[in-house]
Formats: sequence, structure tokens, C-alpha cells
Amino acid sequence: MQRDEIKVAVLQMEGTNCEYESYLAFKQLGVRPEFIHLKEFEKGKKDVFSYQCIFLPGGFSAGDYVRAGAIFAARLKANLFKQLKKFVEDGYVMAGVCNGFQVLIELGFLPALNGISEEPEACLATNDSNRFECRQTLIKHEKSKCKLTKNIPDGKICLIPSAHMEGKLVFKDEEYAAEVNEKQVVFRYVDINGNLAGYPWNPNGSYANIAGICNNEGNVLGMMPHPERAFHKWQNIGWDGNDGRGIFEGIIKYIEEKW
Amino acid sequence: MSMDNLFIKDGYVYRINLLDANDEQLMEISKTMGLALNLQEMKKIKDYFSRKGRNPSDLELEALAQSWSEHCCYKSSKYYLRQYVYNIAKDRIVAREDAGVLEFDNEHYYVVALESHNHPSAIEPYGGAATGIGGILRDVLCMGAQPIALIDPLFFGSLDTRYEELPKGVKHPRYLFKRVVEGIRDYGNRVGIPTVAGQVYFHESYTGNCLVNVGCIGIVKKDKLAHSRVKKPGDVYIYAGGKTGRDGIHGVTFASEELREESEEKSITAVQLGDPITKEPLIHACLECNEKGLVEGMKDMGGGGLSCVCSEIAYEGGYGAEVYLDKVPLRETDMEPWEIWVSESQERMLLVVKEENLEEVLRIFEKWDVEAVPIGKVIEEPFIKVYYKGQLVGELDLLFQIGAVEYAREWKKPEIKEKEDVEFEMPDLQEALMKILSSPNVCSREWVIRQYDFEVRGATVLKPLHGDIGMQSHSDAAVIKPLEESWKGIAVTADINPYYTSLNPYWGTCAAVDEACRNLAATGARVDAFVDCLNFGNPEKPERMGEFVESMKALHDMASVLNIPFASGNVSFYNESMAGSVAPTPTIMAVGIVEDVRKCATINFKEEGNPIYIIGETKKEMGGSEYYQYLGISAGIVPRSDAHLLKESIEKVVRAIENGVIISCHDISNGGLGVALAEMVIAGKGAEVCLYSLPDLRTDFKIFSESNTRWVAEVKKEKEEEFKQIFDGLKIYRIGYVKGDGLIIYDGDEMNKYVDLDKEELYQAWNSKLWEEMG
Repeated sequence: MQRDEIKVAVLQMEGTNCEYESYLAFKQLGVRPEFIHLKEFEKGKKDVFSYQCIFLPGGFSAGDYVRAGAIFAARLKANLFKQLKKFVEDGYVMAGVCNGFQVLIELGFLPALNGISEEPEACLATNDSNRFECRQTLIKHEKSKCKLTKNIPDGKICLIPSAHMEGKLVFKDEEYAAEVNEKQVVFRYVDINGNLAGYPWNPNGSYANIAGICNNEGNVLGMMPHPERAFHKWQNIGWDGNDGRGIFEGIIKYIEEKW
Repeated sequence: MSMDNLFIKDGYVYRINLLDANDEQLMEISKTMGLALNLQEMKKIKDYFSRKGRNPSDLELEALAQSWSEHCCYKSSKYYLRQYVYNIAKDRIVAREDAGVLEFDNEHYYVVALESHNHPSAIEPYGGAATGIGGILRDVLCMGAQPIALIDPLFFGSLDTRYEELPKGVKHPRYLFKRVVEGIRDYGNRVGIPTVAGQVYFHESYTGNCLVNVGCIGIVKKDKLAHSRVKKPGDVYIYAGGKTGRDGIHGVTFASEELREESEEKSITAVQLGDPITKEPLIHACLECNEKGLVEGMKDMGGGGLSCVCSEIAYEGGYGAEVYLDKVPLRETDMEPWEIWVSESQERMLLVVKEENLEEVLRIFEKWDVEAVPIGKVIEEPFIKVYYKGQLVGELDLLFQIGAVEYAREWKKPEIKEKEDVEFEMPDLQEALMKILSSPNVCSREWVIRQYDFEVRGATVLKPLHGDIGMQSHSDAAVIKPLEESWKGIAVTADINPYYTSLNPYWGTCAAVDEACRNLAATGARVDAFVDCLNFGNPEKPERMGEFVESMKALHDMASVLNIPFASGNVSFYNESMAGSVAPTPTIMAVGIVEDVRKCATINFKEEGNPIYIIGETKKEMGGSEYYQYLGISAGIVPRSDAHLLKESIEKVVRAIENGVIISCHDISNGGLGVALAEMVIAGKGAEVCLYSLPDLRTDFKIFSESNTRWVAEVKKEKEEEFKQIFDGLKIYRIGYVKGDGLIIYDGDEMNKYVDLDKEELYQAWNSKLWEEMG
């Protein structure tokens, strides 16, 4: 596919609030992003299959008053589950950042170790610090099944800011956790030397320092840190911090090559 | 006549028998109804209705009480504001309505607003602070602007206050602080606007009456600027957003009295409930309508509710309006008409649209799942007419309601509490520095800052914490890059030091302006506008009013030399409780323009071997200083300020940053040079300095003086000559070099070492205090 033919749906509902900068990131790489309100998919005004990527931006969908991402996921499940399942099975991309990651977990699209699950098999629990924290984090790109980050060298340490209250990834049981940890981890929080380290390097106490995972097929990606906040060097003065750009580029490269 | 006979049922309202009431009864009515109107004002209302030949309805009296409250009409301050601040560089102000509007570039304006939410936050800190954010966002939104940053200056009593010392009915500062921060966090983060700057100040005068000031900046295309005024008769009033409930009734009249012991019980309903998840789509919907050119006028429903908004927006356009109260969406169905009229429920906007655009506007709100209904229309005659189920329940001349009261209150020159300086022996300076670094008003604000999402929207160039990950320090100002296609940035900071203003309101206010300008310059931003939030005590007391007037004079004297306008502002009087008045607190928010955000300077020392300079003169001005607080000395004068020198200095600092001559910069304020250097070391590389070159002062004063108009600058080695040229004519002193990773300070002929601390020690002293206090 040509870059300018690629369409990305930046999905929003009340409370999503990182859609604008996410939209800009895609736009600046030459693809065609669109803001899509959840209602437009629900009511069939827009067709899921006219997009190659559905991007779930960060924020506090529906206020996150129940559990982070739960209401957004419930609405997707109630009205769009079959379509989205096929969308993913056909190899299209779903990517979620922060609240979007929480939605993908609630929806059972991640970790999806044995395919999409009816019930969530993991959870992004409240940070160990028990509070919302906004801080720059360093994450290391791991060798994984992810097809969306092939452009990022394995072992590369990226500076990507985090800002969340519920980012501690936990799994339904130890065996499941071990398997995901082995195969599907895309990013881990590390310290300045690239080593796994505790707080504040791991800002939330996530299992095995996991910051981002993919599904078994590698076309669904979820991560807590915000790549759209490290898309330009000026966003992290002093760090030349545009490591987030690679994540958007990776998604686009995958689509360009696949179709 | 008994009180009962004064209230007569008439359909859906009560008529109040004002015409037959004597003075005592007039005051009894004001009190019983919670109107907060004085006798003079009640008599004025009585006269008005005598001329009309009828008695007012409860709704009409309530409406007047709202519009005549200090909070809404600035009756005590307007006279002085006009005299001292409104006229400075006013040609640069595009509009001064709910928010101020100035030019950003050829195609855009920026919009600024700053408000207090003090009394609600003292009673219910979480809700009070959250709705403060909600209100200031709407003030910016109603100009058609996209909000891009929030700023929160906060003031509390000392965290060490013992419970038994608290006046009755007052909440502990620790509780207030925690809940205010949580309120800002939960609202600001959810609504998706970054909280980028502010300050937290602890001072005993805030124990009974904490101050919560909230500021917001927005950006709008020039041709999309909206106004809070109607355009022509026949246009429709649309109510949009959350439903109306009983929360926030009498919010503005409550804000226009002193806090009392029973305030909580009596006034808890005056605090509104915030809902950021209604607000977030409300912002989208209003901006979409405005972007499509469907909006004739827009105003936020804040203080005084529908009553003030429906009246003011019509009055500003030179017309009147008719409103049908039964159309208003209600949360509680049994509300009285007057309650609907004055409720300050949150998340509501009033839009004025042409009849032919009505359908399209309603469709946009539906898309965003936000309730919107037509509730009235613009009429030719300058009256506000309010109907409820067919009954005319209120009719007022807008000129009477809105333009009627203003006072030139009596004032008395306040007592200057500065005392002659004293002699004392110099203590151990390293220990003093460590103690000052961990003092409440110097120590790291990380505990607060990290709870705020300061980079949602992805446009925060300079964040409130800066430097190496894991060991960061405060930035002087935050910088936002508001436009995708431009390198231009907006810098913002907020400053006031109540230790200075309580000693000397005039010079304390000057110092706040000086510091705000310094902070902006330190990042490479040129000051472009001021916004003031003037928090003072009871204006009916001449000495309180005197503090206010002194402060106004200071703002005038500084800003007119700098030729910088006050874009907008807010006055909050009656910040008094059983424990007394707050220190004069004219919070100054300054907005600056950065030509190219890639050139911003940061505070962390960067390259080993670069020279370190002090820009500006260090004097023995120790009144209110952190050093004297540490020593327990109350003496000395607060730092003076020279606006001409300031103007010249900031221009040179900015130029040196733009030219890459200064690569790290930090203003010198609380805790003096010692603290400034420590913060620069914490965030970056070390420094070794000798203060020998500074003029003749004892070493402790060199390290801890808080004299104004000073900066520490790291100058690029190869550009030292250029630096000297730029600063030709100003005082600069080379004090040392970037070196190692600690802070070493020498002074004197023998090069005595006064301070030798490594980065980790400095960081621990500076960073741990609030974490220990707040957990």
C-alpha cells in the first residue's frame, strides 16, 4: 500500500484525551488519520474495515470511574466485538496507548495468548505508589513476536514518558504470566544503564517490568508509555527524545508491506 | 409586621414585601435569604421597585444579589483597577471579557484567565479545586479558544500546625493541601489539559483561609475568536452541558463574605460538583460549533449561574433577553424557579445562535452526547424577562441589574512591618543551606507535580520538572508549543511571596512582578502579558483596602515601565477567617513568548568547564528571606525592584539565550544564590564557585540574599566574549565553573570553603521534605 492510502481510525469517546497528538503523529508520517467517535462505528456511520489501523489513544474514557478502560471496552464488546475480532484476525492493526492499552486488555484482545479471550486474562492494576504519576520513563525494546516494531533494533532503549494511575500489569496466573513474559513482551522499563530496575524506573510495579505487549500474532500492540509525547525532539529537550516516532513508523511500515 | 408577612406566595414564586419593610427588616431579609447585600444596597433595590410600583419576586432579589456580589461586579475594586492597571499598554489587548485576548502570531490569538476558588476550597477542598479548574477552562473556551495549559498557584497554612491551634471549623492545612491537589489532578488529568505551572506556598496567614488560584491559557485562530455578547434580537439562547441541580447555590454571595466557624454547615451547598467527563466532550462540541461559524456569542455559566450569564451576555450586546426556565434540564425536578436561576452547577455553557443554525448546533451536541436545549431568545428592549410555566417570574432593567453598584472604598495606608536589620554572628553556612533546601517553601514540589499530567496534548516543551531522569529539579517556567506548524512557544509562570507582601505590600508586589519576568527570561521567553489574581482580606476594613491599593500602585509602577498589559484578572476579597486576614496575595501570572522553542534554556548545568556568572546586583535585603526565617530573625527590608533595570536585564538574558550564549539559566529567588546553584546542580552537572568577585558583603548574605533582578547563568565557553558584550552596562560577575558533580562554594581572601556537598546530599535535602510530609 502507498503511505497516503493508509487510513487510521483514532477512536474516541468522552474522556479520551490524547487523540489530538496521536492524530498529529500519524498525519506527520504521511498517512490519513481520522478522528472517529465510537458512536460512528456503533451506528454503522463509519465502517471498521475501511481502515487498516484502529488506534486507541490515552485518556480517561468515561472517566475510568469503574475500572480503567472498562466502560470503553464494554461498549466495544457490546456493539463491535465480532467486527473487531475479524479485523484483528485479518491481520489489521489495533494499537492502544495507556488507556487504550487498558481497553485492549479489558476487551481480551491482549495478551490473547491463546487467541482473543471472552474474559480479560490480565489487568492493569493501580500503581504500587497508589497514585497517578507523570514521569519520563526508559523502555527497552525486546525481541518479540511483535510485527509492528520490526524497525526498532532489539535492545534499543527509548525515552517515552508515562502518565497513569493504573499501569501495573498483572496476569491471571503465574503460568500464564511466564508464557506471555517469554513470548509477547515488546517493551520493559529499564534504568539508565538498560537494566531492569525498581521504582521509579519501573513507575508502577508492573510484572517483570513490562511496559508493552503484543498478541500472539503480533498485530495488536498495547503499551503504557506515550509514544506521541516523544515524537519530536523538542518534546523532550535535553534528551533529543523522539524515540516514540519509531513506534508509529513501525505500524505504518507493517501496513505498507502487508498490503 | 412580622417576617412571615414579608413573604407572599404568588404562583410559582414568593413576592417579598420590600415596599413596606423598614431598614431593620430590609437587613433581616438580606440575611434570611443569604443575599449578602448591605442596607444601602437593599434600599437601592427598594427604591427601584417603588418606582415600578410593585414588590420583587424572590427570583429578582436573588438575581440582584448575584449581580451585585463582590465576586461578580468587583464593586470594591473596579474603581482602583481602572485607575491603576486597566490602561497600561491597553492597545495590545484584543479583548478583555471572561478572559483576556492578545496576539500570538499573524493568524492566532492567545487567551488567558486566572481566578480564585478560595472559599469553596476551604470548605470542600477536593470539589472546590476541581470546579475551579472547570470554571477557568470555560472562561477560555467561551472565547472560542482551545485550552492548552492550566496553572495552579496554591497557598496553605503551615503543615506543622498543631491540631489544637486550629480555629474551630477550620481544616488542617495538610488535609486541604492533599485534597486540593487531588481535586486538580482528577479534574485536570481527566479533561486532558496539562497542568504545567503554579506554586505552592505555606504561610501561617492561610491557615484559616487557604487560597486556590487557577489559571488557563488557550489558543484561537483570529477569525474564530468568539465574544460573550449577543449580536441581534431573535437569536436563540442554547443551554449546553450538564443538568442544573442544587449545588453551587449562593456560591458568589458566599465568596463575598468572611469565612465563619459555621461556614461549612451553612455553605456546603454553595460548593459545586465537577464532572470532567461531561466537560471534555462539551469542550469538543463548543469548539466544533465555533469552528463551523455557528456561534454568535458564547459565555460560561460560572458565578451567579444562568441569572448572571443570560443577563450579562445580553447587556454586553446592548439588547435584552427572554428566558423560559421550565426548559432548563434539571437534575432535581422539584427546584424552585429562583434556585434554577442562580444555581452554579458545573459544566454548563450558554451559546447564542441564529435561528437558522439551531438544528445544526443541536446535531453537533448530539454527536458528542452532550445535552443542549434552546431556553430563550434575544429581545430588542434592554430587559431580562424570566418565565416559568407561563408565569412572568422576573423582569429587571439590565442597566439596573448590571451597572448599578461601585464603591471607592475608604483605605488607610497599611503598616510597614519591616524592621531595622540586626547584627549577628555568621552560622555554619553548609548546615544553613541544607536546612533551607528542605524548608517548606524551597523544597521540591515533586510530590505535587508528578500527580498532574503536565504533558497531555504532547506540546509541553519545558516541563515543570527538568533535568536528568531520576533527579530532576524545578523549571523556572513551563513552555508550550501551541501550534503544529510554528516553532513559537508560550511560556508561563506564577509568582508571589507572601513573606514579602506581609512586611511591605508595595515592594512585595513589585518583587512578584520582578520574579515572574525573571522566570520567563530564564527560559528564553519575553514577557508579553500579566494576569493578576488579587487575594485580599475584607475590603470594608480600611487597612485591608489599603493593602490592596498599595499593591495596585506597585502593579502600575512596574507594568507601566515594562509596558506590559494586564490581560485579565480576578479580585478575591473577604479572605479572612476567625484567625485573621490572609497576607496580601496578588498572584502574578506572567505569559511570555518564545520565538523558537528549540532554543529554550533549561536550568541544569551542562558542560564541564563552562563559566558560571551571576547577572545582577546582590544586596543585603534580607527581610522575609528564607535565611532569616531559618535563623528566626524578623528584621531587614524586603528586596526592592527597579523596573527600568529589570526591563533592560530581561531583554539581555533572552537575547543571550537566543544566541546560544547562555545555555543554562536559573533565576535567583527564595533561598538566594545557594538554592539556585543547588537546584542547577541537582538537575545536571556540578559547580565550583568562589564568591570573592561579588561586592563587599558577608559571605552568608552573598549566598542567601534574595535581591531581585538576578540570575545564575552557565555561559558557553567559546562565547564568553559575546556574553560580556551583550551585558555591557549591566553588572555581571564570573563566580566559577561547571565542574564535577557536587556544589563547592568558596569565599574570601583565603579561599575558605563554606559549602562542599555532593549532588546526592543536595537532592536528598531538597527532595525528601514533602514526600515525608505527604507520603
